[in-house]
Amino acid sequence: MKWLYRIISACMATLFAAPLVWMLVVSIKEEGMKIITVLDWFKPPYSLDVYKEILTGTKLTVWIGNSLLVAALVMVLTVAVAALAGFALSKLPFRYRTLMFFVVLAGLLIPGEATIIPLYQVAKDMDLLNSYQGLIIPALASPVAVIVLKSFFDGIPNDLLESVQIDGGGTWRIFIRIILPLTRPALASMAILTFIGSWNNFLWPFLSITDDNLFTLPMGIPTLMGQYSEDYVKPMVINAIASIPIIILFVTFERQIVKGISMSGIKG
Amino acid sequence: MKMKKIRADIQALLFLLPFLVVYILFTLWPMVKGVEMTFYKWTLIKKMDFIGWDNYRQVLQDREVWEALWHSAIFVVLTTPTMIVLSISLALIANRKSLLQKFYRSIFFIPSVLSVAVASYLGLFVFQPYTGLVNSILHLIQLLPGDQEIFWLTETSLAWIVITLITLWWTVGFNFILHLSAIQEIPDEIYEAARLDGANNNQIFWRITLPYLTPITKTIMMLQIIASFKVFMQIYIITGGGPLDQTRPIIQLIYQTGFRKNNLGYAATMSYLLFVILLVLSALQYWINNRKGAEDR
Repeated sequence: MKWLYRIISACMATLFAAPLVWMLVVSIKEEGMKIITVLDWFKPPYSLDVYKEILTGTKLTVWIGNSLLVAALVMVLTVAVAALAGFALSKLPFRYRTLMFFVVLAGLLIPGEATIIPLYQVAKDMDLLNSYQGLIIPALASPVAVIVLKSFFDGIPNDLLESVQIDGGGTWRIFIRIILPLTRPALASMAILTFIGSWNNFLWPFLSITDDNLFTLPMGIPTLMGQYSEDYVKPMVINAIASIPIIILFVTFERQIVKGISMSGIKG
Repeated sequence: MKMKKIRADIQALLFLLPFLVVYILFTLWPMVKGVEMTFYKWTLIKKMDFIGWDNYRQVLQDREVWEALWHSAIFVVLTTPTMIVLSISLALIANRKSLLQKFYRSIFFIPSVLSVAVASYLGLFVFQPYTGLVNSILHLIQLLPGDQEIFWLTETSLAWIVITLITLWWTVGFNFILHLSAIQEIPDEIYEAARLDGANNNQIFWRITLPYLTPITKTIMMLQIIASFKVFMQIYIITGGGPLDQTRPIIQLIYQTGFRKNNLGYAATMSYLLFVILLVLSALQYWINNRKGAEDR
């Protein structure tokens, strides 16, 4: 029984790892090798020339840079914007607070895919197509982030805030000095999830960008793949170059990512 | 007193302002703009003629639209149950104490951080005839005779299998983590008590673990249904909607109508049809969650 369990576990892990291992192995093979059986994929000669060729001869690095830039800015700004709004909804007394909360909540029901066509028209009217601003700004209003962060701010006792107020601290100071430090893990998890979301975002860049200097990775990859259908080595090198940074990022932040996901599940 | 209140209102508004500006401009305003678009013949270049309800009349009778919705629904039906079974199985594997526990958790999640383009192309190469990983392994172990090939993407049902497998591999990670953390929250005492009462592993799974996972599984299921209905990218790369548009989902049709056939007005109308469907699904989710809440109380 125990062994059966172990064998099944190992098989599952192999299945999940196989495409990635295959990608890495093929990516370091020399080009133009004959593949007759599956074992040929794993035989030498190896070479890193194609890596060099792809990195210097294509715009892949530009696209990785774009993806990183857009994802980083979207991450920072989304969390900032959501934290400000979540704080107001959680801790500031004002008229129509409940109404405002429901307006934000309603946003959860509006899927981005359903408004993508009019969004294109709106972005066009505002001259945002084919620009970094156009890639970044429409992504910043995330009702999910506001609501999740609000529920974390709700957990901070009001007494704590009042004590600062008595010391003469203003609302802004409460936000910066108390709210943000106390919810740092939640903010970090939200930030990482936002980053991954933006990194993977396809539909909006696909529609709004036509200038290949502004492509993000998910759009750039299909463009490149179209050119290299003969051999597997170049496509696999492209896949590997596109994946290695994000996998390193994941391994570095695994704990926060896992926490962030469990957190969003509890709230969702 | 009144002044103070107004000041508080203004202060709160300032905190909400950045969110509200973006939210209104890029979520609420497009919703309104979109309604206008549905009443026009509207191209990529400009607004053309007012055509009243024509788009709506057309969308209800358009066979392509209903077929595409049907394909999205097929995708939901194929991926949702398999996703949940796989996710729970992987969580059980990664929950077991072993030297490889951390490795299992990482390897089941890593595909989820890949860009959708990478995941799809990788899958595409894995299922390539002649030299792809699956076919060449099948050849190697002689399950597939040397002179035969499986063309995974030329037959609709095989294409669906490929799409489903790649999607599961690529997206199960998030749900797997949710299930795993839910399993780890089950108190140990409950397991111990069950063992003292002589329960075997099977009974423990069906009577304890699974019931504890029901709430999160319900949530995952609804989120999964809504998310799957919006599928586009991986199908677009893997099959391009083919063979013969037999796997084309609704988002792809919306994209093609708007940007290839140059008919944004009609594409917007389709989006609203999709929006209504998703709204009904969300309402269903809310209803299920609230019913669950009522039981807890």
